Amino acid sequence: MNTNADTQDFKARAADYGQRYGILIALVLVCAALALANEFFLTQRNIINVLRQASINGILAIGMTFVILTRGIDLSVGSVVALAGVVSASLATTSATAGVAGAPYAFYIALSLGILVGMVAGWVNGVLVAYFNVPSFVTTLGMLSAARGLTLLYTGGRPVPSLTDEYRYIGTGDLFGIPMPIVLFAAVFVVALVVLTSTRFGRHVYAAGGNPHAARVSGINVKRVRMAVYIISGALAGLAGMILAARTGSALPQAGIAYELDAIAAVVIGGTSLSGGVGRVTGTLIGALLISVVNNGLDLMGVESYYQQVIKGMLIVAAVMLDQARHKHA
Amino acid sequence: MFKITKRALLAAAVSMPLMASSAWAEGLISIIVNDPANPYWFTEGEVARATAEELGYTANVSAHRGDTNVESNLVDAAITNGAAAIILDPANADGSVGVVRRATEAGIPVFLVNAEINEAGIAIAQLVSNNAQGAALGAVTWQGIVGEEAKYVEFFGNPSDNNAATRSNGYNTVLSQYPGLEKVAEEVANWDRTQGYNRMQSIMQANPEIDAVISGNDEMALGAIAALKEAGRLEGTIIGGFDGSPDAVDAIKAGEMAYTVLQPVAVFSREAVIQADYYIKNGEPMVAEEKQLFDCLLITPDNVDQYTAPFTLSN
Amino acid sequence: MQPLLEVRGLTKSFGGVAALSDGRFTLRPGTVHALCGGNGAGKSTFLTIVMGIQSRDAGSIRVLGKEAQFTRPSDALAAGVSIIEQELSPVPAMSVAENIFLGREPTGLFGRVDFARMNADAQELLDSLHFSISARSLMMDLTVAELQLVEIAKALSYNAEIIIMDEPTSALGEAQADELFAAIKRLKEQGKGIIYVSHRLSEIFEIADEYTVFRDGRFVGEGAIADVTRDALIEMIVGRPLTEEFAKSNTPTDQPVLQVNGLNAETWVKDISFTLHRGEILALYGLMGSGRSEIFERLFGLSPDMGGQITLNGKRVSLSSPNDAIAHGLAFVTEDRKGSGLNLMADLRDNICMARLDELSKLGFMNRAREASAAQRMIEAFGIKTPNDRLVVSGLSGGNQQKVVLGKWFLTEPGILLLDEPTRGVDVGAKREIYRVMSDFAAKGGAVIMISSETDEVLGMADRVIVLRDGRISGEVGRDALSANSLLHLAA
Repeated sequence: MNTNADTQDFKARAADYGQRYGILIALVLVCAALALANEFFLTQRNIINVLRQASINGILAIGMTFVILTRGIDLSVGSVVALAGVVSASLATTSATAGVAGAPYAFYIALSLGILVGMVAGWVNGVLVAYFNVPSFVTTLGMLSAARGLTLLYTGGRPVPSLTDEYRYIGTGDLFGIPMPIVLFAAVFVVALVVLTSTRFGRHVYAAGGNPHAARVSGINVKRVRMAVYIISGALAGLAGMILAARTGSALPQAGIAYELDAIAAVVIGGTSLSGGVGRVTGTLIGALLISVVNNGLDLMGVESYYQQVIKGMLIVAAVMLDQARHKHA
Repeated sequence: MFKITKRALLAAAVSMPLMASSAWAEGLISIIVNDPANPYWFTEGEVARATAEELGYTANVSAHRGDTNVESNLVDAAITNGAAAIILDPANADGSVGVVRRATEAGIPVFLVNAEINEAGIAIAQLVSNNAQGAALGAVTWQGIVGEEAKYVEFFGNPSDNNAATRSNGYNTVLSQYPGLEKVAEEVANWDRTQGYNRMQSIMQANPEIDAVISGNDEMALGAIAALKEAGRLEGTIIGGFDGSPDAVDAIKAGEMAYTVLQPVAVFSREAVIQADYYIKNGEPMVAEEKQLFDCLLITPDNVDQYTAPFTLSN
Repeated sequence: MQPLLEVRGLTKSFGGVAALSDGRFTLRPGTVHALCGGNGAGKSTFLTIVMGIQSRDAGSIRVLGKEAQFTRPSDALAAGVSIIEQELSPVPAMSVAENIFLGREPTGLFGRVDFARMNADAQELLDSLHFSISARSLMMDLTVAELQLVEIAKALSYNAEIIIMDEPTSALGEAQADELFAAIKRLKEQGKGIIYVSHRLSEIFEIADEYTVFRDGRFVGEGAIADVTRDALIEMIVGRPLTEEFAKSNTPTDQPVLQVNGLNAETWVKDISFTLHRGEILALYGLMGSGRSEIFERLFGLSPDMGGQITLNGKRVSLSSPNDAIAHGLAFVTEDRKGSGLNLMADLRDNICMARLDELSKLGFMNRAREASAAQRMIEAFGIKTPNDRLVVSGLSGGNQQKVVLGKWFLTEPGILLLDEPTRGVDVGAKREIYRVMSDFAAKGGAVIMISSETDEVLGMADRVIVLRDGRISGEVGRDALSANSLLHLAA
């Protein structure tokens, strides 16, 4: 009887470890397979590539994690990437035609403005979702279109080129040899991890997503929490947009198209439930890395991009199926 | 019988890695095109691949689909794989400068095809269609068919692509000399067939009389044709395209499209690989000028039979 | 007479742990047979096996004398066994008739649904049962009680001989429950057999003819309701003799804590005035829709101010948000534990700390050690059965879940407890503990307002009862004058 209970306990613990680390194990397995398949995969240079490639999607996905944890979705991040990118770039360009009067401004002014643009877009999403009860899918679908339209209006459809070197530092520079996009991604991750696991606001996010009624009765201002997560997602989309512009040296109005899908994919692969309340930002990190590793590995092996899309699609569905099986088991 | 097959299979399996490594002898050429869903870029990639393999290289074709971030990842992969050269159709005139520089700094020569970047001196060569020449050629042909009096519509490509403006300027330089040619609408349809179709429908609502259409590419022209056909107004309307795509050629054969301007994509993507091969072997450019323009050709009902493969006029 | 259902030696284990061993049950035609047992007694396992949802390890099930081997619910339905589950699953946007005939709609020419015939058949069925429901009305327009009746009609439309009802009154008020009982009596007269599962003993004594008790996955006993006393039945269910069912240790003082004057609440509740004293348990009694819960929602800041005065410890307060109410020492155990009491996806610790995050954090950062010790304190105080505080609460039994909710509120150190149906869906043992917590709280100087649909509970626990009817106070009864009759008289 006792051994029986022990077996039960062991099984439960194994299931729990599986839930926590299943996706990590998948990442390790994929990396091992790619290392065998391509001699360059595990070179330092390529590892840096993978991390750098993961950074933009990863930053977006971390913002998306906050939103999805509260039972929402933010489809507008791709468009906000473009809008924040071009607005901020127009303050940091040396081009006479593409910049605003007085440009180039100091890089920190341009960067602050980009974050602000993202926050304003997120605030509009948040107000509509939290205070006007518009479903987040609809609200952010609207913002997806509106922000893209504003981007094209603002630029006349033309890119904003010739960004200053100081501004480009966040995309091309490095800190102690680590490229800035990776540094920023890591910083965003650490802050998000602390916020979600160790702060009152983090508890509010989980409660508001797990059961908004119960959270409200327990004295949590659910509307304010909802608004906040969209602002966070918007701000991070703004940051991602500027890193993207800084990397290529010019902000493109058509940047970021369909980026929301990869961000959602990273969150879902990372085990965060689309019905809210359950998930970890660590999972999202691993999800973003997994997508990036798969893309990079397939690029290295010269697999055509259409196969890559198919493989990514299967990966997402497999992750969710795994999740469902796990929940049935529990 | 069974045994032999099995043995043959085994032999093939054993020799495969050997073959692969022998192909490495000349090195890898990474070919990065825009979007192979479009037959134009498909041809670009396939011609380059065929040429590279013909010259003994391993070729690897991938696609960025207009996204500079994806383009950047693909160039990183090519650098990691130690490619001998990169053939790149850049995603954006400004946005692709960075990746071209990155590859060049990593010691990999880059040959740009089809589109340019806004900085000279980084890529070894930029091989593109002579869009201005092609536009003038198209406009002159178009005017010759339409005459000196007409109400017409112009379709404009994606404004972020320099070629849209180049072609439109070429058209207008020629057509503005005829005061009887009245442009009743100029619509942006982003190179897209569906958008061309939708825009044309709206234009027909606003303008009961339209004699001709001149389009920045074939896709938008084909959209306009579909809309005109649906409204029963195709008969007598003259439509001119640009690119020389297989669908456009079919439309010319069917008498729906008057002509199209063929971009010599098959020519310059082959040439790009040949120049890359020369550079790899000799360490210096085969052609001194970085920017090389390739003249466009005209496809009309008279020579449409010589169109033997996509974007290839054999003569 | 041949039994409708005869079950012998039914056994089922999950992963080596026996959930049911020797399940025994005999259902005779024309009887209501209560299946009793606490949480974990094996009732659900028994029912799911009988319905063909799960397979059995051993044992025999005979329906009308024939050995039955159901592998899916449709097999059971075809054999005349039908279940009305606790959680109803209507299709809200469809009509009553469409719901009754869902999946087997009568069809006419070319497979077109014959709506005329379907409506007529459904109406005939409803009329024959004396249910005053139109077959054409939409499910979403019906009350919970009416939905139950539709489910019964649906069960009978399959020509069911055996009808299982799992906690059918858990969402019903007293008057609606009476309507249901009348329907059950008519079914009995038609010779149907009903397996009735309920935690409410008073109902069992009102409606059932026979009983069977399970405990810890085993058959404990069976017999006629007429031959058993309430205490004896409880003893069988719980497994040990219990002292008084309603532990009451508090004595009300005359020191006012909360005064409510001319309070209005959403949307029809008008002019409510009462005073709550230190040490008192005050009950709000009334039928469903009399405005009981609406008063709580107003007091807790969940609904907007619509006029009236609230005075707490001599000070006028507005109570404009739950946060405000909590700050003033109020705690609210809602009627719907899963809907608004718990975060089912979170663990015990997070649930217990949910209303106290401000005090458990500093400058926005949580103090984990204090969270853990707070959770531990409440688990011990309420005797919550759990291996640790990291267990997700959806895995707990109803009684333990309710204790988690109580723990959450006691952590806020409240002065006033608002309890809305605090023992709904909770087994007899846990009920008792909740009663003890209530009266201890009042005895230590707290004050309690409770809402309950169970007359016994009100009679047992309340020091004073305010009766509501149609959103107004219709009377007040002190403990000395309390009787079921006086309450029903004022409420209806």
